[in-house]
Amino acid sequence: MNGPEDQQLPNAFSRRAFLQALTGAAATYGIPRLAFPADEQGPFFSEIPPSISGITWAHVNGRSADMYLPETTGAGCGFLDYDNDGWMDIYLVNSGPCDFYTPPSRLRNALYHNNRDGTFTDVGEKAGVTGSGYGQGIAVGDYDGDGFPDIYLTQYGRSVLYHNNGDGTFTDVTERAGIAAPGWATSAVWFDYDNDGQLDLFVCRFVDFSKAKNKWCGNRLTNERSYCIPRVYEPMPCWLFHNNGNGTFTDVSKESGIAESLAKAWGVVACDINNDGWMDLFVASDTVPNFLFVNHKGKFEENGVLAGVGYSAYGRARSGMGVDAADYDQDGWTDLFVANVDQEMFSLYHNNKNETFSDAAVPTGIGSATKLMSGWGLKFFDYDNDGDFDLLLCNGHPDDKIDGRVDGVKYLEPMLLYRNTGKGMKNVSEQGGAIFSRPMAGRGMAIGDFDNDGAVDVLVAINNGTPVLLRNNAGRRNNWLGVKLVGKKSNPDAVGARLSYQAGDLKRSRMKVGGGSYLSAHDPRMVLGIGKREKADWLEVKWPLPSGTTQRFTGLPINRYITIVEGKEGWS
Amino acid sequence: MRQASTLACLIFMSRFMNRFLLLALTLGILAGSGRAQSGTRAAATDGSSAAQRGIGLVDEGRCQEALPVLKKATPLTSDKQLKIKAGLAMVRCGLQSNQTEAAVNALLWLNREFPTDPDVLYVTTHAFSDLSTRAALQLATSAPLSTQARELNAESLESQGKWDEAAAQYNLILKQQPDVQGIHYRLGRIILSKPATPTTADEARSEFQAELRINPHNAGAEYVLGELSRQAQQWEDAIEHFSRAASLDASFADAFLGLGFALNSVSRYAEAIPPLQRGVKLQPENPTGHYQLAVAYNGVGRKEDAKLEVRLQKEAEEKIEQARQKASEVPQ
Repeated sequence: MNGPEDQQLPNAFSRRAFLQALTGAAATYGIPRLAFPADEQGPFFSEIPPSISGITWAHVNGRSADMYLPETTGAGCGFLDYDNDGWMDIYLVNSGPCDFYTPPSRLRNALYHNNRDGTFTDVGEKAGVTGSGYGQGIAVGDYDGDGFPDIYLTQYGRSVLYHNNGDGTFTDVTERAGIAAPGWATSAVWFDYDNDGQLDLFVCRFVDFSKAKNKWCGNRLTNERSYCIPRVYEPMPCWLFHNNGNGTFTDVSKESGIAESLAKAWGVVACDINNDGWMDLFVASDTVPNFLFVNHKGKFEENGVLAGVGYSAYGRARSGMGVDAADYDQDGWTDLFVANVDQEMFSLYHNNKNETFSDAAVPTGIGSATKLMSGWGLKFFDYDNDGDFDLLLCNGHPDDKIDGRVDGVKYLEPMLLYRNTGKGMKNVSEQGGAIFSRPMAGRGMAIGDFDNDGAVDVLVAINNGTPVLLRNNAGRRNNWLGVKLVGKKSNPDAVGARLSYQAGDLKRSRMKVGGGSYLSAHDPRMVLGIGKREKADWLEVKWPLPSGTTQRFTGLPINRYITIVEGKEGWS
Repeated sequence: MRQASTLACLIFMSRFMNRFLLLALTLGILAGSGRAQSGTRAAATDGSSAAQRGIGLVDEGRCQEALPVLKKATPLTSDKQLKIKAGLAMVRCGLQSNQTEAAVNALLWLNREFPTDPDVLYVTTHAFSDLSTRAALQLATSAPLSTQARELNAESLESQGKWDEAAAQYNLILKQQPDVQGIHYRLGRIILSKPATPTTADEARSEFQAELRINPHNAGAEYVLGELSRQAQQWEDAIEHFSRAASLDASFADAFLGLGFALNSVSRYAEAIPPLQRGVKLQPENPTGHYQLAVAYNGVGRKEDAKLEVRLQKEAEEKIEQARQKASEVPQ
């Protein structure tokens, strides 16, 4: 970090301080973790500057006078432990050559290996995951169940499946797998739609676009060109690929019902909105209705409009971008969130328990706070480990010429942090740290505990800029238990598993959703916050179908990560 | 205060005077263009030659002579363009010679005969605006301190976005006549038009409530109170106000739609259906109504009806989109 703002950070920590803070004691607990100087009163998040983290890579959007729409929409980022060493590595997506763009010098995606000391080293070239086109997003899943996470890279043009060889390298297996998804792919998610124990793949598709189809938008009077609102482009169907279990996939978009709905899709989250054990999909769409694909035993019925999540309350399509799902009020039913562009407000959809939702954005204050904002990456997570789902959002208007054109609307916008008080959502951005007052062109956002301290950290991908890595200071002020699930009969990543736990008077339940946010992939481990309570009494894991079994664990440790393998007693 | 009021009136008048000059210019240009066009046509055997003579008299400023000629000749003219030019000349003459009735009759005739003609619509807009200016000037000169003059002045200030000055005028009216209807409503509207503050909703609410104390039949005030409650998600309050607004005015589509919206929001789907049905009947082009009706039908299990409303909602949305695209194609 180089700016004066960063130097003013009360808790900005130097490389020396960071290294001094290393401790070996934590290594006695399963996965090792870093220890940090105590900062009980500091901001909730601190930015780790590139000079400390070593993450000097930058996204290049290749902005041109022709204002090609993909220039303003990328890119994504992800946390994944590609080498299974117990430390979250980082993947960053860049632009690249395509029909409308020839980079003046080679652009590539980055895979930053976690050096376990707060620094990272780019091993993208060696790993063979540098991308092959105009990159958009990333989805991570162990599709072949070999224990190593694989990467699906979405691109404008043709997407790529990188199989993890287990030795620090990857192989492009797209052709064999049959999931190139030609066109403009955006977010993607791995999940098991037919409950056969294999991870399938859903890929969002944006509009029918190419260099030849690029349209002129702007002010004819002044001849000032601007990025088009996607309304002017034709929608396209999304893809659903069924995992055949042999390294190949079958395009089941039509027979599953997915292709019936024409989308301009950005974000997707896989979750179970009706608690029937079949994973549903919530897809954010831009200028057409959002989709709620309700899964009826492997066949999807699109029910977004009637469920109350397709349109605004006025029956108008908005510009849905980032999405997520979580049971934020702990009533046992999964709620949804979608971020839109300015003038539309974001929506917090509370589940009415009957496959319909009510927008709670206004009473929670989220509506007024986001009236002039445009949101992309977002995630429900318990940043302070008090046991409640909070909400973090990164923002930025898609049109870089918006400043001055619409009152109060800016191209660069700050992040927002909402704390779940148990009674509602409170905007605590002001206490979040300096980053929450810094406007930026946020796009993808991933969460992951890169320093294994149980405080879930954040990575924000910046359009045409250096990514922002945020260290969470708040989470370690409370106690926690981190859980990695390994499915055996159920899908390897246990997407769709439900964890319930009790710590004294605190009883919580949460589902492991698939995907969420925008173009990004998250730490697959779940951190269960228990506040100041000294122990977790019990933990139940309800494995997703086809298993459906429930395992109960007691005598659990706290403030460390454990791995639970489906069907095995105990943990490691 | 009187000085300020007079000043506002002068601003108000000058604004309209400019419009008046524009109208005169517009009519002159159109008349000229008509003359050029009609000159290229072959002489007609019907009323054309008389109509052309009438137009010529108008161009010479001889309106007293021109009007009877045009009145008689125009309906007999078969050339459409000449008919329009003759009609427009009658409007011009009527306004120039203060024969308002002749001008209005000509406008009504033109709009009946040529309802989509751009020249006719353009001149109609300016002519009615001009007539309104004349009435306003008359009011300002004949009864400058009347409630009506102040109200018109305040409305003018409102239209210019001068909220505080407009509010001052409305407050003067209330000082003069505390029980006059409609003024608290206007004050509430001004509060909502100004940049929002944390107290905006409460301040506006108290004005609309004051209006209802004076005039319990003001459906608009009930509606806005319902809307304020709806925005605050105070559903029961919203339902009460929207219900009253709808019962006060059976043609108030937004009140019916607001009522259905609020009822849907508290999952009272069966109750929401009748007002929403009424709302979409009154306003079939509004996508919101169809969407909310779809939600209500879905809520009571009428899936097919819900799907139909979704289809109608999409059609309404597409029409709006087509209109938007058409508007964006108009050269700037």
